[in-house]
Amino acid sequence: METFLNILISGILLGGIYSLVSIGLNLIFGVVRIINFAQGEFVMLAMYATYFCTTYLGINPYLALFVVAPLMFVFGLAVQRTVLQPLQNEPMMQIFATFGLLILFENSMLALTRGEARSLSGGYSSVLIDVFGLKVSGVRLVVFIVVSGIALALMLFLQRTMPGKAIRAVIQDRQAARLMGVNVERTYLLTFGLGSALAGVAGALLAPIYTLSPYIGGNFILAAFAVVVLGGLGSVPGAYLGGLIVGLIESFSGYYVDPALKQAIWFIVFVAALIIRPSGLMGQVGAEEVGLREQT
Amino acid sequence: MTRNGISRLAIAAFAVAASASLAWGQAEPLRIGAINPYSGPLALYGDEVSRGYQLAIDEANAKGGVLGRKIELLRGDASSPPQGIATVEKMASQDKVEVFVGTYISAVSNAASDSALRYSKVYWDTNALAGDLTERGLPNFVRSGPYADSFAEVSVAAAKDVLAPALNKDIKTLTIWIEHEDSIFGTSIAELQKKLIEKLGGKVVGMGAHNFRAIDLTDSILRAKAAAPDLWMETGYVPDGSLLLRTMRDQGFKPPAIMMVATGDTFETLDALGKEYLEGIAVVGYPRPDQTEAYGPGAAAYLAAYKEKYNRDPIAPQSMTAYAGMQMLLEAIKAAGSTNMDELRAAAAKMDKPLKSYATGFGVKFDPKFQNTRAFPTLVQWQSGKVVTVYPKDAAQPDVKLVNVPRK
Repeated sequence: METFLNILISGILLGGIYSLVSIGLNLIFGVVRIINFAQGEFVMLAMYATYFCTTYLGINPYLALFVVAPLMFVFGLAVQRTVLQPLQNEPMMQIFATFGLLILFENSMLALTRGEARSLSGGYSSVLIDVFGLKVSGVRLVVFIVVSGIALALMLFLQRTMPGKAIRAVIQDRQAARLMGVNVERTYLLTFGLGSALAGVAGALLAPIYTLSPYIGGNFILAAFAVVVLGGLGSVPGAYLGGLIVGLIESFSGYYVDPALKQAIWFIVFVAALIIRPSGLMGQVGAEEVGLREQT
Repeated sequence: MTRNGISRLAIAAFAVAASASLAWGQAEPLRIGAINPYSGPLALYGDEVSRGYQLAIDEANAKGGVLGRKIELLRGDASSPPQGIATVEKMASQDKVEVFVGTYISAVSNAASDSALRYSKVYWDTNALAGDLTERGLPNFVRSGPYADSFAEVSVAAAKDVLAPALNKDIKTLTIWIEHEDSIFGTSIAELQKKLIEKLGGKVVGMGAHNFRAIDLTDSILRAKAAAPDLWMETGYVPDGSLLLRTMRDQGFKPPAIMMVATGDTFETLDALGKEYLEGIAVVGYPRPDQTEAYGPGAAAYLAAYKEKYNRDPIAPQSMTAYAGMQMLLEAIKAAGSTNMDELRAAAAKMDKPLKSYATGFGVKFDPKFQNTRAFPTLVQWQSGKVVTVYPKDAAQPDVKLVNVPRK
């Protein structure tokens, strides 16, 4: 029983990590209709930025969050404005462009670090909460709490505010939104910036958990795509829930089936979701097709 | 001194310099191409390996070179198999390289040696681990260093001779969990470990495979924890090794002994875990210069030469294995009297030196597949944030003792 609960807890906490990485990706995916292959690298860059703040400037990684996230917001704006917006009418080219960014960021970081693995010092990762034999990793608990807060705040933002409503309108129909007076380009800019800032938050919170390498973005992103499809395009609660589900599936299948097979198992779920409910658990039915429809 | 005197001195100095350069100049320098990644992510260790080559070459040149020729090391950058092929082609055709040495990356070694064969050049491998490199039976391939199987063998021998006694057990009563990353590298070592342990009558209570890029390894640790082994041994890369150890700590899994194979003995692991947690963790790795002079004659001199040339301690122990490999190559060239592929291999086949002949503790005797059968890694242990050689017994300094086994 104790083992079962420990697996449950580790699955939920892992789900928190997946949700955190996926929410930003999903927002960009759902709104700007770009499959941002470089999202994992945004997280990676943010992790290194956090490492830099902590190691060289002596800032606590959780305070570095407030430096890194705004930085990533601006960085996202710049990428959207200079790279992606000029390609707006060529969706395929945008995908290739994000792939190019992935390679660019990964290799720039490789060149800077020469591939040495780095870790945050300071023992943040060793904080452990032990409740009746149940082990809860402190750093992962923080991730879970923050991502829950972010999901809630984002939902409120999308429901209650004008920019949020504009984002939702663009998710539903870009052209109609434009006709209603929504500044689509500005909405894209805002969304991409927001998505990047979320990658910044993820980077700051994950830096104490993992050994940093320039390739680490790729480790997150594969799962994040599964989460996005499972949860539903453009749906914040979908990404949150999808992350938790994938985390739990991975944790349980890893323990009870085989750790080597766990990725295969969640990809089966991913494919099944695509077949049975292509719009995802919480996505708007039909929304998944809008991205493929030619839009001008 | 008169003006005349000064000019006479200058002429004399010039003559000495000229005759020296004439002596070197009689023959073209013997060019050895060192295939390694010198740019990009893998460059750190690529550089380090080539530093080992360079030190052995400096030493030989100081004694007059080989076959009366000065030896020159040319660096050929290769971090991927296609790059390895292209670099070998360029070096063989344009740079007049006569022999190739390389690299710690098995995939590059595989492609580069194949390419060297097309130019009928020997590829002398010093640091790659994959078993299949020698299995191919390439007629130009020689491996002077230890490989995957040697790591598996030493890990099991060390479990039997060092860790089991420290736990007041013998190999038959010691329960062992084997964890490994799931590519061919980790899997081949783990399977051989299991076979060897069972041959000794030991008990493998479980085996776990994990993807080295996994985000979470709690499942792997909980599985091992449920089996409650005396010894947890792991083969993998740096990031997954660190994540496993962190998860182990978080989940309160405290096996009495921990052994890492092939990675885990560098500052990267120290950074990730800190010296308190690492205390007592054993690592099977390349021989290190801290071993005794009786086991590795020349190890201390190697360390001194390295420090003098590069102004720091070696970044990783790989360079000393490369250094020994280059020494063997130069001996083989000397014995063959040429760098011709067949003659050089024939000379290598006749080499026969007992263990403890080189700074690494290696000897040299090639099997029919040209794998050196007298090259083994050693067991080191983390002690107060430093890595200390503990096994074989005669490699360990006399005042070195095993610490923190069983783990507190």
